[in-house]
Amino acid sequence: MRVAHSLYGRLLAWLALPLLSLGALLLLQAGWQAKATADRAHDRLLDAASLAIAEQVQWQDGRLWLDLPPAALEMLAGDAEERVFYSLVDQQGRHITGNAELPAHPGADAESGDTLLYRDLEWQGLALRQGVRRSRLEDWRNRERFEVRVAHTREGRDALRQALLRGNLAGILGMGALAVASLLLAVRAALKPLTRLRHAIRARDPRTLVPLELSLPRELAELREALNELLVRMRRVRANQERFIGDASHQLRTPLAGISARAELALRDTDPEAWRDALTTIQATSERTARLAMQLLSLTRLDNPEYQATHRPLDLNACVRRAVRDHWTSCRQAGVDLGAECAEGEVAVNGTEWQLEEALANLIDNARRYGARRITLATLRSPPRLVVEDDGPGIAPERRLLALRPFHRGRDDGEGSGLGLAIVDGIARTHRARLTLDAGAEGGGLRVELRFAEPSP
Amino acid sequence: MRLLLVEDDALLADSLLTLLRAEGHQVEHLADGDAALARLASPGHGVDLLLLDLNLPGAGGLTVLEALRRHDRETPVLVLTARGAVEDRVRGLDLGADDYLGKPFALDVLEARVRALLRRHARTARLVLGPLELDAATLGFTLDGEPFPLPPREQRLLACLLRHAGEPVEKARLVEEAFGGDPMGDNAIEVTVHRLRKRLPAGRLALRTVRGLGYLLEAEG
Repeated sequence: MRVAHSLYGRLLAWLALPLLSLGALLLLQAGWQAKATADRAHDRLLDAASLAIAEQVQWQDGRLWLDLPPAALEMLAGDAEERVFYSLVDQQGRHITGNAELPAHPGADAESGDTLLYRDLEWQGLALRQGVRRSRLEDWRNRERFEVRVAHTREGRDALRQALLRGNLAGILGMGALAVASLLLAVRAALKPLTRLRHAIRARDPRTLVPLELSLPRELAELREALNELLVRMRRVRANQERFIGDASHQLRTPLAGISARAELALRDTDPEAWRDALTTIQATSERTARLAMQLLSLTRLDNPEYQATHRPLDLNACVRRAVRDHWTSCRQAGVDLGAECAEGEVAVNGTEWQLEEALANLIDNARRYGARRITLATLRSPPRLVVEDDGPGIAPERRLLALRPFHRGRDDGEGSGLGLAIVDGIARTHRARLTLDAGAEGGGLRVELRFAEPSP
Repeated sequence: MRLLLVEDDALLADSLLTLLRAEGHQVEHLADGDAALARLASPGHGVDLLLLDLNLPGAGGLTVLEALRRHDRETPVLVLTARGAVEDRVRGLDLGADDYLGKPFALDVLEARVRALLRRHARTARLVLGPLELDAATLGFTLDGEPFPLPPREQRLLACLLRHAGEPVEKARLVEEAFGGDPMGDNAIEVTVHRLRKRLPAGRLALRTVRGLGYLLEAEG
């Protein structure tokens, strides 16, 4: 299993990431806005100062004359002790007067008219904000054009920008902290049902398989339903096991009681011949009981609703030959002729070897118990078939279906457990094979056929 | 022969000890897996046949088998188990068991399997079945101590059947061993079996046909 990341951490990361980028954007925007506001405020000062200067320009003695109003410059020098520069330039670009020869503005020409043009400027090692106003004398005699250039250093603007930014920053950081805190709380609250579910599972009695009853949000309710379905399947398996234990103890108790009674009776007797009889019976009964226990186990495993067969390609002929080898000696001792009639080559099916062997063992055993003298195991191809035919009494057509039911026993049979054919039926089902019971070739006996699907290539 | 029986059920072990000792074997009995592991740890254990239960206290039977097979591939092992499923048998045989008996088993079946295993892994060069004896070195048969001469094919066929006496041998295998895989062997074998059958002493040795499978040699009477 891969190491899972914390759901809490993941949620937090995905929510915090956009929040942080949003915060960063807000900060950037606040910076721009502070600068723009500061510039706007101070640009208005530049505007006013340049206008005041322009109004004082006169024509005296055949040239431009400026009587600089001190208020115009004081306006520009704020509390931050900026340095203030101005210059008056005539139409030809000649410096007329001023405290500095400020450079021209590239956009200032005839079209720009009587508006102030601003720009940020690096001049003689100073960062300046410059305003350039083109104007003309409003005298009826002389309409000489001139240019007023004003500039100041940026200290005042920077101070204002920082003050504005500080105010904004506090707001943004406060909001950010609030958002992160509510995020933490929200994620924690959203994950709370998960914690509840965990506690509920942990607090359960491991032996109980009752469904989880717990109200949960929809997404987790689906998980709870999946868990409950698993529990239902486990209940079915357990019910199957419990039924087996019940069946087994019931079925096994009866012959054991017989053995015990027979032994007790024999012990009361003193005749060795009676002991011998009793021992023979006890041996036969105990063998039958052991076989019954094994059959019960096979049947339960096959009946398990959760049983998943893992079939592999195998050769039916090999199964038949092995079954004949395994059972031939015991059949011969009982006077039964066991043989095989295999199709040429291989008869391939998908199956589970031990189950097919178990099926054959049960069919051979059944045939012997019901009095067959000759048993033939055969294979046929297209479709692959496994056939067990005997010359015993057979089963009447109307009783054939009934014979497949567990614990059903033929009328004149004192020995069988009634499980053999039920086991074969179970094995046929796990192989998706069709089980048919018929009369033998000559009309007598029983012919059991398992018809398999062709194995997919 | 020295047999080692590893079986924890006292009643069953007692019966098997009685049976095998009556057959003239020296039988040693251990009741748990750890003791068996220790006993079989080194190659010089001197056991000719191991009868091994799978469900043991201490180390399990399959563990014992695995440990033995790591240093000893020769000693035959007969697995006895109550775990009825054939799955277990497959696993046991995969790990190197030579044969398998599911409990409960009939004592005569056990006897036959033990005899077959001992014969197959015999360190002595002589195979015996009833009155018939094969000297593996010369491949010569004797019947009641008298030489029993046979044509080469019949001799090879009988040797093969004798090695597996008491169990059905598939026809294909007989063709392989007695006729060297000769493609004509399939028909020839029936003729050879027919001839051989007539030579065997009636009522003492029987060469039986296992319908659709092959043949089996057993002693009678």
